[in-house]
Amino acid sequence: MTALLDVSDVTLRFGGVTALDGVSFTTDTGELLAVIGPNGAGKTSVFNCISGVYVPQAGTITLEGASLLGSRRRSADLGVARTFQNLGLFPTLTVTENLLLGRHRHMRAGFLAGAAWFGRSRDEERRHRESISELLQLLRLDEYRDAHVAMLPYGIQKRVELGRALAMEPRLLLLDEPVAGMNAGETEAMASYIGAVRTARPDLAVVLVEHDMPFVMGLADRVVALDFGTPIATGTPAEIQRDERVIAAYLGTAA
Amino acid sequence: MTDFLQFVFAGSALGARYALVALGFVVIYRATGVINFAQGGLVALGAYIAYHFTDRIGAPFVIAVLAAVAACAIVGVLIQRVVLARMVGQPAFAVIMITIGLLFVIEQLIPTLWGYNSHNLGDPWGIKTVDLAGLTLAERDLWTLAIAAMALGGFFAFFRLSRYGLAMRAVAIDQEAALAQGISVGAVVAVSWAISGMVAALAGVTLSTGATAVSPTISFIALAAFPAMILGGLDSPGGAVIGGLLIGITQTLTAGYQPEHAAWLGDNFHVVMPYVVMIVILMVRPYGLFGVPEVDRA
Amino acid sequence: MSTPAVTDPPAPARSAPLPPRLLRTRTSRVWALVLVGAYVLAPLTVSDFWLSVLAYAGIAAIGAFGLNLLTGYAGQVSLGHAAFIGVGAYAAGWLGADEGLPLPLWLLGAALIGGVLGAVVGPFALRLRGQYLVVVTLGLVFLAEHVFRNWRGLTGGNSGRAIDPPASFGVDFNDFSLGGFAASRAQSWFWLIWALVAVVALIAANLARSRAGRALQAIRDRDLAAELTGVDIARTKVAVFALSSALAALAGALLGAYQEFVSPSEWNLVLSIQYIAIIIVGGLGSVYGPVLGAVFVGSMPRVIEEYSSSIPGVSSGAGDDGVITVFALNQVLFGVLIIGFLIAEPRGLTALARRVAARVNRSSATPARTTDNEEET
Repeated sequence: MTALLDVSDVTLRFGGVTALDGVSFTTDTGELLAVIGPNGAGKTSVFNCISGVYVPQAGTITLEGASLLGSRRRSADLGVARTFQNLGLFPTLTVTENLLLGRHRHMRAGFLAGAAWFGRSRDEERRHRESISELLQLLRLDEYRDAHVAMLPYGIQKRVELGRALAMEPRLLLLDEPVAGMNAGETEAMASYIGAVRTARPDLAVVLVEHDMPFVMGLADRVVALDFGTPIATGTPAEIQRDERVIAAYLGTAA
Repeated sequence: MTDFLQFVFAGSALGARYALVALGFVVIYRATGVINFAQGGLVALGAYIAYHFTDRIGAPFVIAVLAAVAACAIVGVLIQRVVLARMVGQPAFAVIMITIGLLFVIEQLIPTLWGYNSHNLGDPWGIKTVDLAGLTLAERDLWTLAIAAMALGGFFAFFRLSRYGLAMRAVAIDQEAALAQGISVGAVVAVSWAISGMVAALAGVTLSTGATAVSPTISFIALAAFPAMILGGLDSPGGAVIGGLLIGITQTLTAGYQPEHAAWLGDNFHVVMPYVVMIVILMVRPYGLFGVPEVDRA
Repeated sequence: MSTPAVTDPPAPARSAPLPPRLLRTRTSRVWALVLVGAYVLAPLTVSDFWLSVLAYAGIAAIGAFGLNLLTGYAGQVSLGHAAFIGVGAYAAGWLGADEGLPLPLWLLGAALIGGVLGAVVGPFALRLRGQYLVVVTLGLVFLAEHVFRNWRGLTGGNSGRAIDPPASFGVDFNDFSLGGFAASRAQSWFWLIWALVAVVALIAANLARSRAGRALQAIRDRDLAAELTGVDIARTKVAVFALSSALAALAGALLGAYQEFVSPSEWNLVLSIQYIAIIIVGGLGSVYGPVLGAVFVGSMPRVIEEYSSSIPGVSSGAGDDGVITVFALNQVLFGVLIIGFLIAEPRGLTALARRVAARVNRSSATPARTTDNEEET
């Protein structure tokens, strides 16, 4: 049986700096895998390789056997969606428009159809606006749907970004520090939204990078710990919390 | 062969002028990440200020040049402080358009202040020539090469050796990291504008030596430095110099040979030749000879 | 915020967000009616001089719609607009004046030629991110001017050429008569040009509220995120560059035919920068900004020219007394407008007008729900 996502022996260097060194892990349909590690451990670099932003010097990354390496749009086409550590929203657009951009790859109207409006473009707009209204409700964004994203508080922006990723109907969702900069209440809320998403989409595989250990340990099915670009442990949250190398990497703080 | 050497010499002198303009572009680009279209305006302003000092005030030429250099440095810093400082955090495409607007303003203020007619700069060289090894070399070209060499030498010494030069390089690599190291990004940006004003003034002066060469079109001639910058690489000062020389020589050779050997390319083809070179470069080697490809930060 | 979504009963289903209609609010419907009325009546009441000013403004608006899609929506600055406007003018000369094709065909033909040229140049000009496009299109203006000066058979070389294509579409716009009513050329061309402005505005508004328009704005806001969301950046950029070039060429065709004569020196950097001023003054990325900007920027030089004698310090020609010539004053004002609006009000006249409207509404004590987001209605 092959896993949905297979990251195998990935090595990434920038000039003389090795960001990732032989990183391997797999994720299955319906699973939530957390990648943890201290600052600079290469967590975001893993995401950048999976989503095609960086091309690793060695190793393979496949989604159901198809290579994800080297092309950004290919990763989107194959069903990878992601959020960004510092938000990757389109700030001048509304919440609805941001979510509709998630639908972009499921829509077909080009410039000519768009210019004509009547016919294909309008029908498509109607259909896909309906399909995102479900997401707006799931993530409690209904009341903000016409608000410009730049005007919204940070916590809600994070949720909008989650919504845009989900609108892509991905098979694999990458969440880059979904609760960075949030207070305890917001963090708890985000955890329950992620839970709700997993209930609504049982087949979705989620890979999550995060610092907040209680958050990670409460959500993850499995955890991969990185240190200086090298994987040091893989296991269930309970196993990881007992792992000495992980504890050492964190200087005994969070874990 | 004599012709050819003659063209190469004149082309190098022209290229040295382009190099000075292009260096100004590169310095601002490294500090702010924006191509400064107002640079051509500063070049023309430098020429006119020097002319003002020689012709209207009667100052010696050297004093006039120094005054132009100082004035353009001040204007550069003022532009940054008064206008561009208000655009911090705005998208690059908006900042570029601001510099385009500045070019428009400066370009029209010049004839408003000094008139539309062409003038003599009042330089000591005029159209005098010297004969050397069978070649007839214009004195102004020899001096241009000397001035450019001094200016570029001074810049690279400053850039490589001084504390500010180091700070400039740090800011170009990573603004936030530079900030964290205690480097004042604001000061570096201001110094960059001052430097770019200074080299612009020298470019303006050397472009307008000779007979009745002080004219409002100087800023358009300076635009040919864009291809030089692209050829060298947007962020490479050394590339700007080499790009400038190559563009200058190419242009002079084109002016010399194209009318006879490739007349079908049309009259005055040498005027657009730099842009042809630029487009070819962009197709073959998009980040120039010495430029660094942009890296995405996700 | 702290109440998790899972534990709550599903919220009462609110209707799905509908695609925005163009005339959603009552205010916008009233405005549309006023504009239609002005369109029909203006030529009957306004002097030929001002009709011609408005006709040029309408032509500029058509070209500016193109540049606004490219720069305002997609964030790609081009200095090459003038080159494509020139292409359109010569296309009108070739297809309309030389080949004698009827009005709709030479107009469409010019737009098509501009679009195809844009699609050919685009991939090279847009290959690199960010600011290279500005420099490449700068080169394009110079190269195009060189070609225009030297392709004498088509352009008449430096001395220029006449462009007098047929202008009939049901009625002859050069010699307008309908029933017993006869109109001057200024009157009939006003109707022709502003009808086309309306068509182009509709196209722009439709694009803005559809998939393609959203993709453009996504590229402007965050190109990396757009790409990872599945937007084909290269294709979208080339498509909008081609569309922008097509609209520039359409404007050029109208300009050539309306002026009846063109010369290569018209299609220069200054013209490109004027278009940049138009879209900035109108409001970058606002649907109807190009019209506001074109009317403002287009009529400003005429107003200054007309009243130059009564503005202190302004001379009408280079030889006359005065601090600044009309020409220089206009150019300086273009520059100042670009800088001033970008710093003080990047959303341009559109935003200013909206703010004024909001204040008027508030003071007349209408309910708070005003016409915000009008560009999406």
